[in-house]
Amino acid sequence: MNKIEIFDPTMCCSTGLCGPNVNPDLMRFAAVVEMLKRKGFEIERHNLRDVPELYVENNVVNKLLQEYGVKVLPITLVDGKLKVSKTYPTNKQLSEWTGVNLDFIPLE
Amino acid sequence: MDWSQFRFHSFGINKFIDMKKFNLADIGLTKYLFFTGKGGVGKTSIACATAVGLADQGKKILLISTDPASNLQDVFKQTLNDKGLTIQEVPGLTVANIDPEQAAAEYRESVIAPFKGKLPVSVIENMEEQLSGSCTVEISAFNKFADFITDKKESEEYDYIIFDTAPTGHTLRMLQLPSAWSTFISKSTHGASCLGQLSGLEQRKNIYKQAVQTLSDPQKTNLILVSRPESSPLKEAARSSHELQLLGIKNQTLIINAFLEHADDSDTITKQLHERQQKALSEMSEELSVYPIYKIPMRSYNLSNIANIRKMFNEDILANIEDNYQPLDYVNTEKELIDDLYKSGKRVIFTMGKGGVGKTTVATQIALGLAKRGAKVHLTTTDPANHLNYNLVIKAGITVSRIDEIKELEKYKNEVRSKAASTMSAEDMEYIEEDLRSPCTQEIAVFRAFAQIVEKADNEVVVIDTAPTGHTLLLLDATESYHKEVERTQGEDIPDAVRNLLPRLRNPEETEVVIVTLPEPTPVFEAERLQQDLKRAGIQNKWWVVNACFSLVDTKNPFLQSKAKSELMWIDKINKLSNNNIALIKWADL
Repeated sequence: MNKIEIFDPTMCCSTGLCGPNVNPDLMRFAAVVEMLKRKGFEIERHNLRDVPELYVENNVVNKLLQEYGVKVLPITLVDGKLKVSKTYPTNKQLSEWTGVNLDFIPLE
Repeated sequence: MDWSQFRFHSFGINKFIDMKKFNLADIGLTKYLFFTGKGGVGKTSIACATAVGLADQGKKILLISTDPASNLQDVFKQTLNDKGLTIQEVPGLTVANIDPEQAAAEYRESVIAPFKGKLPVSVIENMEEQLSGSCTVEISAFNKFADFITDKKESEEYDYIIFDTAPTGHTLRMLQLPSAWSTFISKSTHGASCLGQLSGLEQRKNIYKQAVQTLSDPQKTNLILVSRPESSPLKEAARSSHELQLLGIKNQTLIINAFLEHADDSDTITKQLHERQQKALSEMSEELSVYPIYKIPMRSYNLSNIANIRKMFNEDILANIEDNYQPLDYVNTEKELIDDLYKSGKRVIFTMGKGGVGKTTVATQIALGLAKRGAKVHLTTTDPANHLNYNLVIKAGITVSRIDEIKELEKYKNEVRSKAASTMSAEDMEYIEEDLRSPCTQEIAVFRAFAQIVEKADNEVVVIDTAPTGHTLLLLDATESYHKEVERTQGEDIPDAVRNLLPRLRNPEETEVVIVTLPEPTPVFEAERLQQDLKRAGIQNKWWVVNACFSLVDTKNPFLQSKAKSELMWIDKINKLSNNNIALIKWADL
């Protein structure tokens, strides 16, 4: 695995905390991605608001958008291939792609 | 009121306040002058009078308004833009107006336009929605603001650059942002939250840094706090002063506007007004008395045109008063307003208006009136100055709550932390904390509290006094985008209170917005804009309250008679704007 790319819908911030409700899954995902990046993995999150051109240029993403509309986001590509859409990858999936053990002990 | 007690208070604890008459030659003029203060204290007029006065001395002046509801257009009777236009009547003066909403709209369009036709409609709508938030409004306005502070050409071209800033809360946030952003830009380890949308953020880093430096350089910037000699605006001024001091802006000056020079013992109202002013000044925060303080006398004329603005610092003119002065009569007062509200059976009642017009007082009167007529009432204040008359309200059987922005933010943060803690390591929590510092987080937190209060209207009549206009509009705006967001994320964990909010606010059977204003130009123009904004948001408004009318008061004092007379044209205008649904409240010594 060389590269994971996530195409988010437009978001105020990458954790979704600025949105109307707290989405623990998004926070979970945001934090895990940040940790994997620190470990040196190439993971990119794109925000539709900031880099809409990528959503036009990427054929896989653009095709899905044209067909299903904005609801198909977020889209996850691994080495350019579609892996997950409409939801964020689970820790288990991320673990499989990166080989990193992601069963950490929760905070109390 | 027991005056013997007042005298004891006034002379017993009185501090000596050295107040000079405001004079352009005296004040420490720096290249950049910022006027700030609670809405309605006259900062627009003073900023204009300063700009016009300096231009008349042959100086080159740039005057910039960042007020979301700019009054400069009204004064100069000229449509303004954000680049700056010269004013024909005042050689040497250039005026620019930054409308934050418009700046945001332009920014939004510039981002979205290239993708229309290339991305499906649902995607474009998603982008538009996200770029309609309060972050975008603040950021795009600040962007322009920073350009003016750091532009070398402008700095060379003009002798003085004067900012007529927005009402306090907004001003503070705007001035607070630079230091927060400087920290953010340098420390941020992940994609910059709210700032991510600013294209070329890194390239603008230096501009922001320079803007912050200029603001806190006493050689370059003088912050002029404007207040009236009344307790609530003075408290507000003290708070702003303190916060800005903490942000490193230490070169401050205080102006007391609308100061009544002489007590007129032959006229009760004038005497009361004078004594009330003296009392408010004697109770002024120690923190303010370290700064140079200037006074500007109360004027009996309107400051809505350049000719009068030119006179503001120098002279008074009395309107022609007929010998048989009579106060206004046969008009609706708060009694008729409350009767109508009671009969209509409305459940949610807001008092809205610019800061300083007396929203809290009017909300309290409405709550008391409804309770007296037999309604079960809940009263909520979002005003940080929080000057409710608790004893009176509690005695009437009214329940009271307060939306405390700081507490609500903390509550929301804790909720997030507890949800996050179950899935996250300690290190990752830091990442979450970063986003919790975003300005949107605060808006969301306050909004949730607001929704919960409105939900009480299921069981009782809820009267809410909202915070100053700029903030109120943001709140409404948040309501709107929140509502859309709710529709999109149906089925997720959204409280019923939030889901029900906007439909309830839009239902004229349930909700009434009472616009509160004063019989003076600035508050009336602002209220007119507020009415338009409410219309856009689809929210019903019937009643207008004109607070603190001297025209209802029987006074012998020619100065106050003249002031009363100058109110009439504004009362007339409001009568038209409100379709005759106008209630006047007499100026009173509260």
